[in-house]
Amino acid sequence: MDEEASLENYFDQSIAGSSDYIFEGDLGLQGPAPQLQDSSFLSSLTSQEKDLTEDLDLSFLPDELGTQDELSQAKNLSRNEDSGIYTDCPLRESTEGDTDTSNSAQNASQFNLPMTPMTPMTPMTPVAESSGIIPQLQNIVSTVNLACPLNLKSIALQARNAEYNPKRFAAVIMRIREPRTTALIFSSGKMVCTGAKSEEQSRLAARKYARVVQKLGFPAKFLDFKIQNMVGSCDVCFPIRLEGLVLTHQQFSSYEPELFPGLIYRMVKPRIVLLIFVSGKVVLTGAKERSEIYEAFENIYPILKGFRKQ
Amino acid sequence: MPSSCPECGSSNVVEDDLYSQRQWVCVDCGSVVSEGHLTTTVSDETQGRAVPYHASTEVLKKPCRNLIAGFSRVRALCRILRLSSDMESAVVSLFERAYNHPNFIFVTLTKKEILGGCCVLSVCRQCNWPVAMGTIGYLLGVDNATLGTVYREFTKVLNIEISTIGIMDMLESFCYDFKLGPQQVEEVFAEPAQRLVDRTSALIELAADAWIVTGRQPLPLLFAAVYLAWQSLNPTVRMKYTFVKFCKIGQAPKQSWHRSRDSVVKRLKELRDVLCKLGRELPWLRGGAVEPNTVVPLVDDILKNRRALLMRAVRNHEQQLQNESQTAQTTECDDELSDSNRSDSHSSKTPELMDPDQAGCENPPDKEATDCQLPPNHWSKRHLFLPPCVKSRKRRRVDAPQLEVTGDEEISDGEIESYIRSQDEIETYLKVRKELKNKA
Repeated sequence: MDEEASLENYFDQSIAGSSDYIFEGDLGLQGPAPQLQDSSFLSSLTSQEKDLTEDLDLSFLPDELGTQDELSQAKNLSRNEDSGIYTDCPLRESTEGDTDTSNSAQNASQFNLPMTPMTPMTPMTPVAESSGIIPQLQNIVSTVNLACPLNLKSIALQARNAEYNPKRFAAVIMRIREPRTTALIFSSGKMVCTGAKSEEQSRLAARKYARVVQKLGFPAKFLDFKIQNMVGSCDVCFPIRLEGLVLTHQQFSSYEPELFPGLIYRMVKPRIVLLIFVSGKVVLTGAKERSEIYEAFENIYPILKGFRKQ
Repeated sequence: MPSSCPECGSSNVVEDDLYSQRQWVCVDCGSVVSEGHLTTTVSDETQGRAVPYHASTEVLKKPCRNLIAGFSRVRALCRILRLSSDMESAVVSLFERAYNHPNFIFVTLTKKEILGGCCVLSVCRQCNWPVAMGTIGYLLGVDNATLGTVYREFTKVLNIEISTIGIMDMLESFCYDFKLGPQQVEEVFAEPAQRLVDRTSALIELAADAWIVTGRQPLPLLFAAVYLAWQSLNPTVRMKYTFVKFCKIGQAPKQSWHRSRDSVVKRLKELRDVLCKLGRELPWLRGGAVEPNTVVPLVDDILKNRRALLMRAVRNHEQQLQNESQTAQTTECDDELSDSNRSDSHSSKTPELMDPDQAGCENPPDKEATDCQLPPNHWSKRHLFLPPCVKSRKRRRVDAPQLEVTGDEEISDGEIESYIRSQDEIETYLKVRKELKNKA
């Protein structure tokens, strides 16, 4: 009963057009089972959105058979997709019983269509319909303006975690333990924060550095926090023929084995540089948004699969 | 200063400036008694400064000396590499363009020399004339990294399209460089270049199939392949000659291979391992052991039938893996039986998919050395031939647990205090620093 009520809730939201509600925050793909239930509801929802826009069919309104259809459709969807995400779905399947077997035949055809959401919903984490691999973020570089001139000598003297060598570099290098990051603090009051593994961690770290500078007696503010660069990496789990790739994608790739063992692929849309190695590991860099990294990887994965040698 | 006029004898001589030239003129008769110099001598010019070369007009009249030296150096490079006259003129004009570019006009002389090398490399690539960067580096006396940085900047600044050359293109000229003609060396060492080229190209194709070529420096691999090819063409006599000996026999210039001899040794080992894996599949050996140091006499047979042997080896490997996973099946614990049943049927249908659910009580046996620290279900175990960088992981990668933060949390004062020195600490630090400075 509770399931149906919450399902109605979601559908009401979709009629109201608040698509932001659906993909709030991180879907937490490795999260516990209840969250996964939500995500399968949500994926059925996106397909429902598609149906909505095609013809204003109100057949999704609460109806005994209707809701069971949704649940079975969600299961079919999860079965058709790569098992990258829905690893706990078998648990749900066993509880649903046999209602799906009759509907599965007619519903299966709907869900072999590629999931191109027609409403402008950009998921925070990609629904990995093609690769099942999610690049992990390894490094985030951000800048912030503390908006007050700083005395680097006094900062280096009073702070435990700071180093300052004016002959080598004109900034204080400060480090904090949690989140494990490094900051370069300049005398103009500008600061660069590197080493965080997510945007929120980078912001928290930058705030901690600003707080340290404040405690040292400077009127530091926290203006114009901006993420400048994001680096991600992943493994496609098969070796790649780099020589073939550079021949077919000559305008984008640069492969000089005498200089660097990897192939440097400069993708145009989104503007990301990928380092592709023969072992199948891929490094993506140059992104300002997390979605750019995911999009770039989804663009390159089919190309790489073409160069997989059996 | 003259006081009397020689013409009329009057003493009324005044100083006058005519066209900013000092003159002493007699007022009475108007004759010029004496005048100052219109020009100054060097000794007078106390505040003068020499005009630098690039600001003078000499730039237009006479080209820069370094540019002329650069031209002759670049032409010499072209002649050593035996480029055609068209290519040589293309190189010279490209060098002039690059030299006068604002990014390169003020760099050091060594960098200008390297720039010349980059021009040669670029024109060779455009005309499909296979020259390795290592060759240019050895001719200029620089290492690949330095050459690489200048080359990258050069192509970016001048908007030059770079095309990659494959290792097979470099092969022929490389083999011809070895002096192994019948007139140059003894009969047992001599090898007609064409035979050497054929055998080496077969070896390199095999290496490419076995993932030894991609991502690696081509020159050490070429050296290793030529050496193995030379040995295999007359194994009974040539087996006892080491790689260094071979280079001396073939009169390969020492600077070209000396720096990379460690890599050559590693490639030799990898090549021999691949040959052993294939040698085991030779039917007339009947599954006998094939050792790396005795595989060379078999190279001829292996290369002739390499396609068939490759297929057999891969098939046998897959079969072996399946057998092992099935035996692993039967010896598993009871509570994992259901899981592994499902995963086993999965794996037998689609062997190339990754299988995260496999219970994995037993590790599938390692084909390579047992000191690699890959997790038991790593995808590489499924392949017989893999790039060596996959099989030996030097450092175990530790992924720190992900911190779940929102970015706007409260920051505790205590944590921030822990990063700030107390007054005592500061005083101690200053004291120690002063003492160290006094001692030094």
